[in-house]
Amino acid sequence: MTVEQRAKSLGVHLVLIAYSALAVGPLLLVVMNSFKARNAIFGAPLAPPDASTFSLVGYEKVFRASNILTYFSNSLIVTLVSMALVLLFGAMAAWALTEYRFRGSTALALFLSIGIMVPIRLGSVAILNMMRSAGLNDTLTALILIYVAQGLPMAIFILSEFMQQIPTDLRDAARCDGVPETRIFLEVVAPLLRPAIATVAVFTIVPIWNDLWFPLILTSSDSTHTVTLGVQQFLGQYITDWNSVLAALSMAILPVVVIYVILSRQLIAGLTSGAVK
Amino acid sequence: MPEPVSQIVAQMPRRKRAGLLLLFLGPAVAIYSLFSIYPLIATMALSTYTSDPSGARHFVGLANFETLLGNSLWSKPFWNALGNNLIFFTVHMCVQNPIGIALAGLLSLPGLKLKGLYRTVMFLPTMLSVVIVGFSWNLILSPLWGVAAGALKAVGLGSLFAPWLGLESSALVTLSLISVWQFVGIPMMLIYAALLNIPEELIDAARVDGLGHFRIFFHIKLPLVLPTIGLVSVLTFVANFNAFDLIYSIKGALAGPNFATDILGTFFYRTFFGNQLQLGNPTMGAAVATVMFFIILAGVCLYLFLVQRRIRRYAL
Amino acid sequence: MANLRIEHLNKRYGAATVLNDVSLSIEAGEFVVLVGPSGCGKSTLLRMIAGLDGASSGDIHIAGRLVNTLAPAERGIAMVFQSYALYPHMDVRKNMTFGLKFTGVPPAERKRRVAEAARMLRLEELLERYPRDLSGGQRQRVAIGRAIVREPAVFLFDEPLSNLDAALRVSTRVEIARLHRMLKATIVYVTHDQVEAMTLADRIVVMNKGRLEQVGKPLDLYYAPANLFVAGFIGSPAMNFFEAKVESVEGGRARVTGAGLRNLDLPATSLKVGDALTVGVRPEHLAQGTSGPFVAEGVVELVERLGESSFAHVRRVDDRLFVAEVRGRETPTPGERMTLIAATQDVHVFDASGLRVS
Repeated sequence: MTVEQRAKSLGVHLVLIAYSALAVGPLLLVVMNSFKARNAIFGAPLAPPDASTFSLVGYEKVFRASNILTYFSNSLIVTLVSMALVLLFGAMAAWALTEYRFRGSTALALFLSIGIMVPIRLGSVAILNMMRSAGLNDTLTALILIYVAQGLPMAIFILSEFMQQIPTDLRDAARCDGVPETRIFLEVVAPLLRPAIATVAVFTIVPIWNDLWFPLILTSSDSTHTVTLGVQQFLGQYITDWNSVLAALSMAILPVVVIYVILSRQLIAGLTSGAVK
Repeated sequence: MPEPVSQIVAQMPRRKRAGLLLLFLGPAVAIYSLFSIYPLIATMALSTYTSDPSGARHFVGLANFETLLGNSLWSKPFWNALGNNLIFFTVHMCVQNPIGIALAGLLSLPGLKLKGLYRTVMFLPTMLSVVIVGFSWNLILSPLWGVAAGALKAVGLGSLFAPWLGLESSALVTLSLISVWQFVGIPMMLIYAALLNIPEELIDAARVDGLGHFRIFFHIKLPLVLPTIGLVSVLTFVANFNAFDLIYSIKGALAGPNFATDILGTFFYRTFFGNQLQLGNPTMGAAVATVMFFIILAGVCLYLFLVQRRIRRYAL
Repeated sequence: MANLRIEHLNKRYGAATVLNDVSLSIEAGEFVVLVGPSGCGKSTLLRMIAGLDGASSGDIHIAGRLVNTLAPAERGIAMVFQSYALYPHMDVRKNMTFGLKFTGVPPAERKRRVAEAARMLRLEELLERYPRDLSGGQRQRVAIGRAIVREPAVFLFDEPLSNLDAALRVSTRVEIARLHRMLKATIVYVTHDQVEAMTLADRIVVMNKGRLEQVGKPLDLYYAPANLFVAGFIGSPAMNFFEAKVESVEGGRARVTGAGLRNLDLPATSLKVGDALTVGVRPEHLAQGTSGPFVAEGVVELVERLGESSFAHVRRVDDRLFVAEVRGRETPTPGERMTLIAATQDVHVFDASGLRVS
């Protein structure tokens, strides 16, 4: 039995290693080649850059020809503000739903869950009209409002699950002391939600950062583009300039990878804990 | 088991409770209704109108839908896009989900070393933007660069290479496989979590009963994660019918070659915004969006109906 | 011919030794209980017999065959798990026949075995039901049924009663004893509850920290525990222990003194002056009295009245408590001084290393 198990382990690891290589290989290839001179890219694509082939010409072009830093800051602003609002409003709503039960609360929960299943993009025609008439066309604010609306249902759902685990006694003890409800929420309940934040973050940040559709539809000027849109347009424009293209892609890949590797444990724990429901 | 509602809250005066509800629920419900629900309804309403060159809108009932489905100018690309969506979905169901299930099965084997590392690495593509993924693969598969061609040649399959993304016959499937490559992580993680929930003693009992690892997976583990597989399927369904980013970044709004990679998302985009071939038509775009909504709704209802009946059965 | 033979079994996890040179021989039809505190290695030993975990070294023979490298299904064993481990997506009948299908038992034979086991366990009405619709006791019977249909050489039970409530535990215990007699099966049964061990076992194996402390018939363990651990583990309430020292030896008798002991006079045998001893007497062997080879004294702190028998907790001179059983309606009152005596054969003496002194 032990011999059997060992052999199985080897086979299992081979498969996993093979798939991991498939998962990471293409990205490594892109990043590696972004640091090479043009002829090295074509001549020896699989070789890592060495002293003779190392070149940053692509990166220089990206910085010169595009507003990559503006795009990054836009993406950062939109993502962080949306996340903050989703967490705040989502926690408040989850609190109201779990704590202040009322006759329509199940109906309301159902109403909110529609947003999880149905993609918000389908309403784009109306959204664009709304933004135009409100004068919010081509602003980051428009993006933020959309993303908050998009992220709220899932956040409320996840946070409700967490909140239901908080013991009633904890909440009532503060009430007996005469603490007003808002302070109970801010000082008793909110700190206990820390584990849930990682889960909510996974489901909120990634789709917002990576979204192409709404920046495409709602932002027309270069200064409001997000990274995803900016890179996409840069790629389309400089499609034959392989150095720049590879550099742009790498610049888009690396921040995500770095953050992902740092937070991977929390991210994966978040996915495997709450999502299954 | 959720804690019971606080008794103090239950006895609060109604006005106070109403005020609190307004305060806490207000912002979320307002934003959600205004920017999620209302636009959907408005779009569906808009689909019953048509606009003439002056910009004025006239109510036409279901005429737009008749045009969409009947007038060959519209219906041909519509059915083409719908058909492509189905192919897209089928490839995902047949490739993405089985691979995800298999990987989850391997990862959940007890005593597996380096589990965390594998999980992190294999989930990485899912974190990336579709634009990056699409473009990277576009480069890798490009005959100009020759990486894919070279790799195939190295294993002796060089003759198999073709500019798959550029050929009408293979472009859609290739795009689907790229999407699969990116998103395998999601079914993998969800099913992995579900597999972890299966008590170890159950597996022991199966071993004592005489089942080998393979049989244990098929007869014990798989049936018990069927609800999760159902969830994954419906998520795949919704995501696929919503897909746009990948096609757009690799092929642009025209979804060539010759609309071979056109799906409902790109069709919707073109109809709504227009492109070099046609003017934007918001009302027809609204009609397309409405049709997409109902297709997705149908899929979700089917899932809820099927799962609601089955989910009791597997209560551990 | 032993049905199950374990020879010098060792199990190490890294630096920790979980089983240390365990050897055991079990006859066909014997009901052997492995008992001990948690972490003693009893479940590990059971899993190794089953083949669910591998041993670091040592041999296991079942029905005459060396089974070290065989998979669980090939060893001729069947196991009943603590949490029943019933397949939730199969009905009772399927649960019982599932394994048989994969070990090549033909359909007619499967049907016969299920019918037989269902009759024995009164499961006939439940065959079409699913585990989630069964009570805890019913699930336990199904788990046992699943084991019976395998017609194994050895049955393995892993704390099967732990998940049942007190009343159900008693009735299921009786059920298991009945089955043992009917099937004449060889059973290895793991529990942490020494009452279960005493009532069910033909022989008890007391384990502690990966070692066998003593193997013997229940009453042998009760009346002649081989060491301090077994003495303190078997019997409820637990045996009282008194630290003592040999004061003098003369005329074949040794005088022993210790806290709470007014008098202790033992046959000398191997005792020497100055030997440190632990003396043990069970609460039920103490009676009220003033003189004898063993006399203990102290002040009553608490009396637990359970009906016919009550237990007096007595505080002795060194501030430790010992327990004495008192029968009848007249019970001592707290604060009262008590003197208790015991017969020589009820006094257990253990040396400094914890071993029995005969």
